Amino acid sequence: MNPHVRHSVSSLPPEGAAAALGAARRRLTNMASNLRPFVFPAVLLGALELWARTTGRGSDALAPPSAAVRAFGAALSDGSLLAATAFTLGSAGLGLLIGAVLGLALGTLLGLSRRAARLASLSVEVARPVPSVALIPLALLVFGFGLRLEVSVVAFACLWPMLVLTQAAVLQVEPRLLEVAQALQLSPWQRFVWIVGPAIVPRLFVALRLGVAIALVVAVTVEIAANPHGMGYALIIAQQSLDPALMLAWLGWVGAVGFAINAAALALQRTVARRMGAEGGA
Amino acid sequence: MTDSVLDFDRVAIHLGGREILSPTSLSVRRGEFVCVIGPSGCGKTTLLRAAAGFVAPSGGTVSRHGQAIRRPSREVAFVFQDYGRALLPWRTVQANVSLALEAAGVPAADRPARIARVLDTVGLGGHALKFPAQLSGGMQQRVQIARCLAQEPELMLMDEPFGALDAMTRESLQDELARLVREQGLTVVFVTHDLEEALYLGDRVIALRSNPTLEKPSLAAVIDVPLPLPREQLATKEHPEFLRLRRELYQYLGHA
Repeated sequence: MNPHVRHSVSSLPPEGAAAALGAARRRLTNMASNLRPFVFPAVLLGALELWARTTGRGSDALAPPSAAVRAFGAALSDGSLLAATAFTLGSAGLGLLIGAVLGLALGTLLGLSRRAARLASLSVEVARPVPSVALIPLALLVFGFGLRLEVSVVAFACLWPMLVLTQAAVLQVEPRLLEVAQALQLSPWQRFVWIVGPAIVPRLFVALRLGVAIALVVAVTVEIAANPHGMGYALIIAQQSLDPALMLAWLGWVGAVGFAINAAALALQRTVARRMGAEGGA
Repeated sequence: MTDSVLDFDRVAIHLGGREILSPTSLSVRRGEFVCVIGPSGCGKTTLLRAAAGFVAPSGGTVSRHGQAIRRPSREVAFVFQDYGRALLPWRTVQANVSLALEAAGVPAADRPARIARVLDTVGLGGHALKFPAQLSGGMQQRVQIARCLAQEPELMLMDEPFGALDAMTRESLQDELARLVREQGLTVVFVTHDLEEALYLGDRVIALRSNPTLEKPSLAAVIDVPLPLPREQLATKEHPEFLRLRRELYQYLGHA
């Protein structure tokens, strides 16, 4: 026993050093593999920078990324970035809210009542494929330029996926649970509040995540096509005033905002699925 | 027949143009444990669903205390085979049991004590705050049974409740169910495809055959099980009478 202990004790320091070295190397490798996804965009940006400063000097279409960053800084400091972002996100959010509430209510109704579903199916199938941006002229006549124009088009675009997914979710509630509801003589309201409602929540968040993505795309599209507000309008104005640096700055910012919002919606959906899903999640 | 809880009067059931159950008459007395056996597809589950009011008979009447059954009632509890689907996955064990009390309009203040009592009865006292997915199959089925007991039903209909469980769990749940039924004076109709389970649990066994004809109706045999109570896994199953009945039933089903 004794020699063995002494041996292991005496060999500890070098072993410890080797372990520390190994850990450091692992950490470095980890960091390198975390950085790997950024290599391609960095190379691309570098190439663009190089091209814009040499061959492409004086191009009206593209500007070097460094100029876009400067333009971004200027837009940030003069407040136009914040105002435009707030307008776009505000109208996208409001439109999503209206579309989601209507879609949820109608989808639940159509899921619960076969008669309502039969009556509504033609209208839904006709209205759903209408591209939401095709509604801009009509909405413009009704509401004029401004928030209401944008909110109405976003709400229309979000309504249909919310409606269809809610209806499907209600139809897919475990039939055994509906029999349990029957056996316990639950009223239609109790059946909805205790069984159907909670059962569809995870799927509703999937629908909501889709809605978030749609709302942002449609809001920016409305701004580019018609509404003189928000990020889309800033983008098109930069283009029309032949300011590619500012245009690229806005493009990058719209992309970043879209990425952040979709990531947040996905995280929310996963949390809810874990809480309400089959795992029970305590 | 005054103390009968459930009566089938020439009940026939057709589903999808096929005769599942040919006209069958039988009654279940208060406090009786009736087992229904038969090969798969013989209509034993359909018979049970008709007793619950989930399925309307194509002919004859199903009645409780002389009242024709038209829809499910809280007086009758139904234990489904697929316990995993019959529980609310987003509710804890105690909240699942609570559903039956909420449905019956029991005031919130009275619920906790009743839930605790029922969970103790099925041996789940320490698992009240867990979610169904955190429990084994046997425990999930106990939760469903607890929810049904919380209904304080006068009749409990059980559709192969232990069919999906392993042999060890099945035997211990059989013994617990037998004890519960005797303690609470429950009336049970228990569907199974396991002949030994039927004889072990039942006061009476009803054997059904599939593809009924005029000469060979759905009801193949009704057998009284005069085995002593309480029953016990080893002693009962080695009892000469048990072996004799098992042989008799086996032959009925073999010829069905």
